[in-house]
Amino acid sequence: MSPELVRLILDATLETLTMVLVAASVGIGAGLPLGVFLATSRRGELFAAPTLNAVLGFVVNVTRSTPFIILVVAIVPLTRLIAGTSIGTRAAVVPLTIAAAPFIARIVEAAIREVDQGLVEAARAMGATPFQIVRKVLVPEALPGIVLGLTLAVVSLLGFSAMVGAVGGGGLGDLGIRYGYQRFMPEVMALVVAVLVVLVQAAQTLGDRLARRVNKRLRNA
Amino acid sequence: MTTLVFEGFYEPFSASAEPIDRTDALPVQDVDVPAVRLHEVGKTWRARPGQPSFSALTDVDLEVRKGSIVGVIGPSGAGKSTLVRLVNGLEKATSGRIELFGEDVTELSETGWRDVRRRIGMIFQHFNLLSSRTVFDNVALPLEIAGVDRAAIRSRVEGLLELVGLSDKAERYPAELSGGQKQRVGIARALSTEPAILLCDEATSALDPETTRSILALLKRINRELGVTILVITHEIPVIKDLCDEVAVIENGRIVESGSVFDVFTAPKHPTTARFVEDVTSVDIPSYVRDRVTAEAGPESSLLLRIRFVGEHATSPVVSRLTTTLGADVNIVAGKIEAIADRPFGTLLVAVPGSPPTGDAAIAALLTLGFRFEILGYVPAERIETECKPFGFPLVPENVHVA
Repeated sequence: MSPELVRLILDATLETLTMVLVAASVGIGAGLPLGVFLATSRRGELFAAPTLNAVLGFVVNVTRSTPFIILVVAIVPLTRLIAGTSIGTRAAVVPLTIAAAPFIARIVEAAIREVDQGLVEAARAMGATPFQIVRKVLVPEALPGIVLGLTLAVVSLLGFSAMVGAVGGGGLGDLGIRYGYQRFMPEVMALVVAVLVVLVQAAQTLGDRLARRVNKRLRNA
Repeated sequence: MTTLVFEGFYEPFSASAEPIDRTDALPVQDVDVPAVRLHEVGKTWRARPGQPSFSALTDVDLEVRKGSIVGVIGPSGAGKSTLVRLVNGLEKATSGRIELFGEDVTELSETGWRDVRRRIGMIFQHFNLLSSRTVFDNVALPLEIAGVDRAAIRSRVEGLLELVGLSDKAERYPAELSGGQKQRVGIARALSTEPAILLCDEATSALDPETTRSILALLKRINRELGVTILVITHEIPVIKDLCDEVAVIENGRIVESGSVFDVFTAPKHPTTARFVEDVTSVDIPSYVRDRVTAEAGPESSLLLRIRFVGEHATSPVVSRLTTTLGADVNIVAGKIEAIADRPFGTLLVAVPGSPPTGDAAIAALLTLGFRFEILGYVPAERIETECKPFGFPLVPENVHVA
């Protein structure tokens, strides 16, 4: 393996990791509160706001049903506004984040809806405020599910990040397409896939471990 | 203005802890004011389109004296859960008035209710412990919510875990505990903010009889030692019998009977009450006697009587008294004595042979002695006495088992 190739792979891996980690972090920052709100704002719930819930739910669904490659192209003006450019790794982070946040929000919502309503009632009976219920009951109790869901989100982002080559985003996917496919270098393609497999494997193992660590429910099992 | 009554009740384990600030506690104007008072309370669920509205509770009057244990019993769907949730504002009444320590809380805002709830503990059928928190942190949760500082939380939680006998489980998670231990954690958690009232929502319904007894004993101790007023809802009559001072029977959202547990058990008035109470107090005529009971006395028949022992009579030796008064034998057919609200209540089925003359004398004697009894009919005397013979059951050592 030539040193140039090693360099290429290393650079691409770094770009992929940067894109995924930034998109995941910002996605969690936006998705977590959004998910909590979606899970607690239907009629009769802690922060009952059925209309806003429906509107946000719709926005989330629209984002999630748009194929990622179309989303990337469609939001180019927004990308330029936020990142100052519409090409390169910096720019690629914008559509990745916009795809990640609603995904994470739905994951968080699902995990929180799984929390036994009896716990919410117990907390209300203690005189907890809605914010205290979220902070001390809902999020901690949903944490194992949230961690597993975030792992899923990170793995999906690794896949999505391969597509941002379309806007010159760089990263492993881009490398694989340009060198492996367009320049007929199957060994580059294979290497790219191998690195991605390792990354996915690492993310999944880390996520599983973390989820097991925060899950106190099945100690005896 | 005085603050809530329960100051001083927790000295055994709060001495080292910072006292919780209760300057905003519920005021008590009068010592004899009930802890909880529901006045003509109704709860109607609003109709959804295409569905009639549903009345969960209608004209409910209930008074819980300070320091007492009151039970509300009823079949499932009777409105018990709704009733108990009115007391801490988890449900809002649609009519009537709710008072806590004489203070009208019916129209309280959600913020106001939050303050009240910090003074009312609640335990649940399914414990509702946080699986993500240790036993210690579960008990600490209400204190965290109330903004108590860490040092005070530590000493108070340690005291509470000692009270419920779980000091060695402080760092365990709920998944590692048995049902009874989980409910003990629930009780410790409910008591952590030193509530004046403890609400128990089917607290023992998920537990086996043995564990139920130990939890009931703990609740009783908490009531006696800490002076916490307890309101219990249950569908299990033993809970009422072993724990409560007073009982209200609820059916279809209405309280159909209420009074002291002893009175209601020994003389139920409403059919629903009678049905519940029967499980505990009734003594059926054994099948081998029942089939032969006649309304008319025969020449050699025994008079079958059901004698009730209530209060002072419960411990008086009725059989030997009858025997000495009548100079005749009295056969015990069936019987039992139960402790109801810590007072004895017994039922005895006896057959007095040689009637009618001896039977009439027995009735006269019982009337003189002041027993409550009913005449169930007449049975051919020798049939009862000879009943065991056909089985040929000789009394030899290998047939005798000491339990």
